Amino acid sequence: MYSDDTIAAISTPPGRGGIGVVRLSGPTALDIAASLFRSQRLSSEASVFSSSWFEPNHAQFGHIIDPDSSQAIDQAVLTYFKAPRSYTGEDVVELSCHGSPVILRRVLELVTANGARIAEPGEFTFRAFFNRRIDLAQAQAVRDVINAQTEYQARVATRQLEGALSKRLSPLKEAVVEIIVHLESSVEFVEDDISPEATAALTDKLDQTIHGLNEIAASFSFGRYVKEGFDLAIVGRPNVGKSSVFNRLVGSDRAIVTELPGTTRDALYESTSISGVPVRLIDTAGIRETSDIVETIGITRSRNAIADADISLVVLDASRQLEREGIQLLDSVPEARRIVAVNKVDLENILDEELYDETGVHISELYENVVSVSALTGAGFEELAAKIFERLSGDASAERDDIMLTDARQHHAVQCATEHLSEARELMIAGELEEIVLLKLRAGLEALGRLTGETLTEDILGQIFSTFCIGK
Amino acid sequence: MYDRGAATESRPYKKVMSTPAFDVIVIGAGHAGCEAAYIAARVGARTALVTIDINSIGQMSCNPAIGGIAKGHVVREVDALGGIMGEVIDATGIQFRLLNRSRGPAVQSPRAQADRNLYRTEMRRRLSEVENLSIVEGEVAEIKIDQSRVSGVELADGTRINARSVVLTTGTFLNGLIHVGKRTFQAGRSGEPASIKLADCIRGIGFKTGRLKTGTPPRLDGRTIDYSKFERQPGDERPVPFSFKTSTIDRRQIECFIGYTTEAVHDVIRRNLDKSPLYSGEIKGIGPRYCPSIEDKVVKFAEKTRHQIFLEPEGYNTYEVYPNGISTSMAEEVQVEFVRAIPGLENVKLLRPGYAVEYDFVDPRELYGTLETKLVGGLYHAGQINGTSGYEEAAGQGIVAGANAALAALDREQITLDRQQSYIGVMVDDLVTKGADEPYRMFTSRAEMRLSLRYDNADQRLTPLAREIGSINDTDYQAFERRQRDVEHVKSYLASAKVSELGDDLLGELELEGSAEAYRGKRLDYLARRPDCSSEKLRAIVKSAISDGIDEKEIVVALNDIRYSGYLKDQETFARKRGRYDEMEIPRDADFSRISGLSNEVVQKLGAIRPRTIGQAARIPGVTPAAVSILLVEMLRDGLAG
Repeated sequence: MYSDDTIAAISTPPGRGGIGVVRLSGPTALDIAASLFRSQRLSSEASVFSSSWFEPNHAQFGHIIDPDSSQAIDQAVLTYFKAPRSYTGEDVVELSCHGSPVILRRVLELVTANGARIAEPGEFTFRAFFNRRIDLAQAQAVRDVINAQTEYQARVATRQLEGALSKRLSPLKEAVVEIIVHLESSVEFVEDDISPEATAALTDKLDQTIHGLNEIAASFSFGRYVKEGFDLAIVGRPNVGKSSVFNRLVGSDRAIVTELPGTTRDALYESTSISGVPVRLIDTAGIRETSDIVETIGITRSRNAIADADISLVVLDASRQLEREGIQLLDSVPEARRIVAVNKVDLENILDEELYDETGVHISELYENVVSVSALTGAGFEELAAKIFERLSGDASAERDDIMLTDARQHHAVQCATEHLSEARELMIAGELEEIVLLKLRAGLEALGRLTGETLTEDILGQIFSTFCIGK
Repeated sequence: MYDRGAATESRPYKKVMSTPAFDVIVIGAGHAGCEAAYIAARVGARTALVTIDINSIGQMSCNPAIGGIAKGHVVREVDALGGIMGEVIDATGIQFRLLNRSRGPAVQSPRAQADRNLYRTEMRRRLSEVENLSIVEGEVAEIKIDQSRVSGVELADGTRINARSVVLTTGTFLNGLIHVGKRTFQAGRSGEPASIKLADCIRGIGFKTGRLKTGTPPRLDGRTIDYSKFERQPGDERPVPFSFKTSTIDRRQIECFIGYTTEAVHDVIRRNLDKSPLYSGEIKGIGPRYCPSIEDKVVKFAEKTRHQIFLEPEGYNTYEVYPNGISTSMAEEVQVEFVRAIPGLENVKLLRPGYAVEYDFVDPRELYGTLETKLVGGLYHAGQINGTSGYEEAAGQGIVAGANAALAALDREQITLDRQQSYIGVMVDDLVTKGADEPYRMFTSRAEMRLSLRYDNADQRLTPLAREIGSINDTDYQAFERRQRDVEHVKSYLASAKVSELGDDLLGELELEGSAEAYRGKRLDYLARRPDCSSEKLRAIVKSAISDGIDEKEIVVALNDIRYSGYLKDQETFARKRGRYDEMEIPRDADFSRISGLSNEVVQKLGAIRPRTIGQAARIPGVTPAAVSILLVEMLRDGLAG
């Protein structure tokens, strides 16, 4: 809260808005933002993003790029406010993106992966106050924000500490404490007849700890789904049976189903759960060219739903030829968030003949995650649920009972801990002095302490005295 | 563990003989009292050191040794601040060792065995020669208080001594109760009376007091020890002195001896546990976990088949031996039995039995960081009365209390040592912020800035402060400045000389891992940072290369400074959690109850501790980070003045 580093947060209200803003403040705000931003004015060949290129108080239109994949995440407007003439009095950059929560979270992740820290509650205002950018009356508001947010976090933390997170974290934290206890003892009590573990054994223990933390960190996105639920949009061409699939997943005749294409005009929402994870199902209007004004609005909403949803279930009709529009629709959904349900397999056995594209390649070879279902008979729905669950949980490490990192701040703390502990490990292997290794270990322990409560020096000393017989 | 004495009615006026007034009175001449009196006089205050027995000035009532890891650091800091302990141990030590020599410089620390009698007489001799310092023999019965300010003391014989400041260092004398088996007697240390009247007076003031316990082993007759059964432990060939003023120590050094207990010894102890006051519930005071009695070791670490014993000679001209590691309060006949079960001690004669002592201490949270009490202006507490153990810890507090008592008496600004700057600062901050649940001992792990708080750079850290308060003289300060110039000279040499200039022969001696390409083009300071580069070898190389009369000690400081330079930023982040705001000062009269949004518990804690800075407020157990943020915002808003 008090250091001079660069902080970041989504500064628009939660949920879908027209525009969402990720705000950065601090000495490296512009460097971080510039490294993720490709301006429209520069050719796509330009690989050097220079922070000096941005003028204060000017907005630039461009794209936010994931530096790992070089893929564009979203179109965005970058606005740079130079210190001290900004909200906080520091260098501030605002990235205005489309208001989709998924995109905003992704942008925030990129920003923190590149050196920013997630802001504490009220921290922007706090900085503004210190730099005399806001007056005294507003400071009162900061205090209220700090209080309210901390209480909320405390409640969340308590809930989680009783549950799976602490079950997973506690042994890892204990392992770190144990390593610290052995290293501290070896420098602090040389005159005593004790035998702390050798470095090799401690390095092994540290390895296992880091591995455990990595698993927890990997569970972050899934943990978030468990906490917040996820949005599953059911999309497809008209009359492929989206509403029947929707009803089958909801478990009731919630949506009106007819044989007429274009029955569903507006998106329909219903909450249910899949494998215990809360889900908001969105039935959408079938996507096609139409002159019907109401249907057109519905189709725009369908496209928005695809953009916002955590998973889009693209429904195809097994009894019909796969047209060009169908392929286009499939391609418009990002692969990482796409599941394909081939519906109506209860009709004649025409599946194999019909679902080839124009070049003669079968659908299941073109796309991954294809499940055959029948909304009429219920066939294939167990497999579909399993597929959805698998998509959410990412890799196989995600066992459903013990994945509980739900909040970006928690995720950040685990990442910090892993970083410090990995550095400690490197230093141990390089034969670096104990007190230097301990500095990193203590920093790692402190990061874990943000999730599970602080470990005081007194606690470590206590454990030394109960582990070893100290005292001449 | 604490009980707060009720304030008593003031006693009837008694006519007393009055002596000339002093600026500062120091009660007690143990390790805290000696330092307090010495520095108070050096700062320029007319000082009286009142002791119950002039022969026990600077008495080492436990083991005859000074220093050790973290404790040695404290002694170096005492010396850098203008204290006396370092010089006295340098003059009377009989075995010197630099501990952790093979480890990092930040955890190395000097330790020395002292000749117990020489230490005592040397301390008394030096104190008696100090200008402004009078030594008074007498028992203080009462601290005189006038409208919440100290005005002097009254001795048991009715003598009244006036002063503007009083430093109270009672050691284990406050309601001291000695246990040897089932026998108990009131005393401060073996053979000396307890301060019972003074204890009543202190309770009468209304301080919250608690009870602690410490212990010693029996003393052995060295003529009856079979040393062939023990392993020899010699001192260092070239002793590292404690004081920056000492250049070399050439005195003959003696050996210590290391041996072990056996299961037979443990059996004797287990069989007689019912006769141990510790295990029959008679001892209620809390003892230190890091210094357990042998009966505690045997019970709590039952799986250990042997425990280490160090035989430490008490001096050149005595056959008394201190068996470090078997502190006990078992009955005397049990002590004889178990000691004689130790290999090599079959025929040993016990000169004095070991004992445990329980004593009162005052909750150190009753103090400010200056060690002045919050209840009585001008009254300072130092040493075991604050719940600490150890001569070095006592001395460190003696410096803080003595200097501030003098500064306040002279109407000058008092000092608070920073956690980031010294172990003494860490200790005082811990004590006044968190209190003491057991006798407090210094450990390097208590210091967030461990890498910077080295034994060799204590003068860099603290001597400028000593200069400011006037506790060191011109000669010593000039010597300090010369040392700093030399250190800078060595550093600039290391930053400019190329590794390749050393030549292949010298480089070969360093036995560095990996390819030479990694360091060929680098400067020497790069080598000083490498984990695989032996600092002793590098030191020798630098010494021969630089050869312009620079002392090896300064080369050590320069190399050590460089060794950690890559990690100082990490350390800073770890230590200063609120960055620059950690040092922001909170007014002493701040009214925390006016801050809305703080819980009652937090308001009560802040009000009781009255933290000096935001950083200290954050260290109070139970004060949440959110509460600290609120406090900080509020302070910037209207300064929080009461």
